[in-house]
Amino acid sequence: MDPRFQTLQEVLQQVKGYIYPNEVELHWGLLVVVYPYLTGLVAGAFILASLERVFNVREVQPTYRLSLLTALAFLIVAPLPLLAHLGHPLRSFEIFLTPNLRSAMAMFGFVYAWYLMVVLLLEIWFDYRQDLVLWSRRESGPRKWLHRLLTLGATDLSEASLRFDRNAGKLITLIGIPSAFLLHGYVGFIFGSVKANPWWSSVLIPVVFLFSAIVSGIALVLLLYMFTSLVRRVEIDMTCADKLSSLLLYALIVDFSLEVLDFIHRLYESEESIKILSQMISAKLFLSLVVLQALLGTVVPILLLGLLSPAFRSRGLVEVPDELRRWAYVGAAVLIQIGIFSTRWNVVIGGQLFSKSLRGLTVYKMELTGLEGFFVSAALLILPFVVLYFLIKVLPPWQEGETAAQAGLAEVA
Amino acid sequence: MPQQVTRLAVVFGILILALVLARSQLVPKTFGQAGHYRAAAVTEIAAAKIHYAGHEACAACHEDIAKTRSAGRHRNVACEVCHGPAADHVAAPTDVHPSAPKQRGRCPQCHGYDSARPTGFPQIDPVTHNPVRPCISCHQPHAPETPREPEACGACHGSIARTHAVSAHALIGCTRCHETDRRHKTTPLLIRPSKPASRAFCAGCHARDAGSPKEIPRVDVTTHGERYVCWQCHYPHFPEAK
Ligand code: HEC
Ligand code: HEC
Ligand code: HEC
Ligand code: HEC
Ligand code: HEC
Ligand code: HEC
Ligand code: HEC
Ligand code: HEC
Repeated sequence: MDPRFQTLQEVLQQVKGYIYPNEVELHWGLLVVVYPYLTGLVAGAFILASLERVFNVREVQPTYRLSLLTALAFLIVAPLPLLAHLGHPLRSFEIFLTPNLRSAMAMFGFVYAWYLMVVLLLEIWFDYRQDLVLWSRRESGPRKWLHRLLTLGATDLSEASLRFDRNAGKLITLIGIPSAFLLHGYVGFIFGSVKANPWWSSVLIPVVFLFSAIVSGIALVLLLYMFTSLVRRVEIDMTCADKLSSLLLYALIVDFSLEVLDFIHRLYESEESIKILSQMISAKLFLSLVVLQALLGTVVPILLLGLLSPAFRSRGLVEVPDELRRWAYVGAAVLIQIGIFSTRWNVVIGGQLFSKSLRGLTVYKMELTGLEGFFVSAALLILPFVVLYFLIKVLPPWQEGETAAQAGLAEVA
Repeated sequence: MPQQVTRLAVVFGILILALVLARSQLVPKTFGQAGHYRAAAVTEIAAAKIHYAGHEACAACHEDIAKTRSAGRHRNVACEVCHGPAADHVAAPTDVHPSAPKQRGRCPQCHGYDSARPTGFPQIDPVTHNPVRPCISCHQPHAPETPREPEACGACHGSIARTHAVSAHALIGCTRCHETDRRHKTTPLLIRPSKPASRAFCAGCHARDAGSPKEIPRVDVTTHGERYVCWQCHYPHFPEAK
């Protein structure tokens, strides 16, 4: 038998109830799950960086540059799953050449470009400019030239010029926060405005997306911070880790409340789709929604962080040694990543599992190989870390670097 | 003016210039004149070679076949669906000969069983339906008829028949619920079977006091779903008690 029919037959055996013929196979697969997950991490990491800058949360200062680089690394990779899914990557430039103002998906290209060029790159540039100049003065060989190129020739280190850097950085952060909201709210908007799909069509979706993005971003930076400290063999700054985990807890609580609100709202509205949706949750999404997303990805981390992190008073509700607390944070952050990935999975895959006839369910069969398969998605999830590695090599985000630079500045002065 | 601003202005200036340049070079001249597409595409497509002549054109020379077809069940299937594009043949009838699907492969594209096809569409399973011999050895392609009338309703109502066959109602024949004139099988669109019209019909077997066999599940018809006909809740070809 033709292998395509083979898979079709396997799928058909698991189809339940009545579905239309074109609903058997899902059009949006794993790659489209990866995409909102990645953009969510971008927005979340950036909003964390903004906290330090705009709201002056001093404690998380050690992660400021790391969050910016993380956001950049993930932003660079974010469009790749879409390009792989759509094919014809060269055509993607058409959305800039012939902008279509009436298409939400097409305008997203501009939101993306704005965020990359005007927000992230500029903010990083202003923040690093002083260091770039100092590095290029001290170094030799290709690094010197690379860093000099990155200064764009703006080598003025006078007090007035540095003050301008700081002010410009602050201004960009101010613009950046609504932009980050826009970036990820937009992804939610695209799902939320699919009128015909009761699982997606909800005004709450953009907001829920946004807060889950913040949660995942903070958790990721927390993990990266711990991991890089371990690799570099430097002491983890516990006030920073404590503060991060408290922020994580607040965001998680807001996120959870919003999701519960959405859930209750659906139950109360009880539209004609409610029956098939509840069947879908109990039959197809039980593991990914109830177990992974709600229980392991939300409730357990809330309990862990609520008990151990100093979110409600100066110490945790339960006092434990630093070492144990660190492990608890790592555990919570990993669970949260799994939970948020499941959230994306449940939105994207869940929205296509039930029939528009509201009378049947299909199944999603993930492939291993092939462009839409598991391996490509796994590679796309690893790629941002590779990009981040190189970014860190070129633009070390560590504070020692900054202080060394300051020392260099003193020398120059 | 701080140094940073001038340098960034240069970079952004170059980028914007590149975009403007790319637009001026890559965006087709007529793009956007009539909508979000290249207006010249319309005239280009209009100028494309015409491949199909349309079935009216064929009637001018193949009058007999056109007449046969318009009286048969394939009256709505255009000539070129089977014979392929024949504009060249119309222009030069003796030089260019259209092909004809004499093998078994083509007809099942429309008649092979597919649950998505509308109810009543004649469908066969190409593997088991009189295998090997070409379809046209038994069915005249221009006015197809079935050599004998199909016995099973499932020939044309495959999806319903398959569902019904595994339902609680499997042992109840179609004609127990649909009075069917024989002619429905040859002229299905003109002669239609009856359909149950009222709750009383189902009650004939399912009411508490019905004289039907004891194993049949009973409901109190006066209170059970009283404001609707039964098949608004139970699909009659696959009744479920949920
Ligand atoms: C101008 C008159 C004319 C028109 C219009 C015309 N045909 Fe024909 N057709 C002929 C002639 C004449 C032959 C016989 C050619 C021969 O035997 O060389 C023929 C033969 C055929 C054959 C048999 C070819 C074969 O190999 O035996 C088919 C099939 C056919 N036509 C289909 C069509 C279709 C379909 C159309 C409409 C799109 C059409 N014709 C329109 C004149 C016409
Ligand atoms: C359902 C598909 C189908 C349609 C629709 C159809 N034909 Fe045919 N036609 C055939 C097949 C199959 C043959 C070959 C018959 C044979 O060889 O016995 C054929 C043969 C012919 C021939 C060859 C002469 C003959 O009778 O053997 C002509 C001419 C022809 N068709 C014209 C037409 C015209 C004109 C129309 C539209 C009015 C038309 N056909 C519609 C399938 C079709
Ligand atoms: C483009 C689609 C199409 C193709 C190709 C096609 N048919 Fe049909 N066929 C139809 C339609 C439409 C009907 C009429 C159905 C109705 O009346 O509801 C029909 C009706 C029939 C019937 C009548 C069934 C009955 O119950 O009386 C037969 C037999 C048949 N076709 C045989 C063939 C054969 C043999 C071929 C190949 C030469 C063929 N068809 C190719 C569309 C097609
Ligand atoms: C040996 C002669 C023969 C051949 C070859 C044949 N059929 Fe039939 N066909 C019949 C008979 C007899 C019936 C009516 C009774 C039945 O089998 O259901 C029929 C019925 C049909 C019907 C109507 C649906 C139905 O079951 O009533 C369609 C459509 C059909 N055939 C299409 C085809 C197609 C397509 C092919 C080629 C793949 C083909 N036939 C080959 C004899 C034949
Ligand atoms: C030759 C193919 C064919 C066969 C055989 C056939 N039908 Fe039909 N039937 C049709 C078509 C075509 C329709 C019209 C479908 C439509 O209008 O959507 C239809 C419609 C019906 C309807 C719906 C009528 C309505 O008014 O909505 C019923 C009920 C029905 N058929 C029952 C039967 C039963 C019972 C049998 C067997 C005894 C049978 N049919 C055999 C082709 C067939
Ligand atoms: C228990 C009684 C019962 C039996 C047995 C039954 N039907 Fe029906 N059928 C109905 C009722 C009731 C309706 C009307 C549903 C409606 O109007 O929505 C219906 C509607 C239909 C229709 C038209 C609506 C549609 O769903 O397309 C067709 C065609 C049909 N039946 C074919 C069949 C065939 C073929 C069989 C045998 C395989 C069969 N029925 C057996 C009760 C029955
Ligand atoms: C000829 C008698 C007869 C008629 C008429 C009839 N049914 Fe039934 N019905 C049965 C039988 C027999 C069963 C199966 C009992 C069993 O499961 O052993 C059944 C079972 C059912 C069931 C229960 C299925 C289950 O899963 O337990 C429902 C619901 C039902 N029928 C609805 C209807 C509706 C609606 C109609 C009217 C369109 C109807 N029936 C007409 C004989 C009939
Ligand atoms: C408002 C929706 C509705 C309508 C209308 C309706 N039913 Fe039901 N029916 C149900 C539900 C729900 C059940 C399963 C729960 C129960 O047993 O009450 C059921 C169960 C049944 C059963 C199975 C009882 C058993 O003990 O297994 C039969 C038989 C049945 N219905 C027949 C009918 C008949 C005949 C009619 C029309 C006179 C009808 N129903 C109208 C909703 C409906």
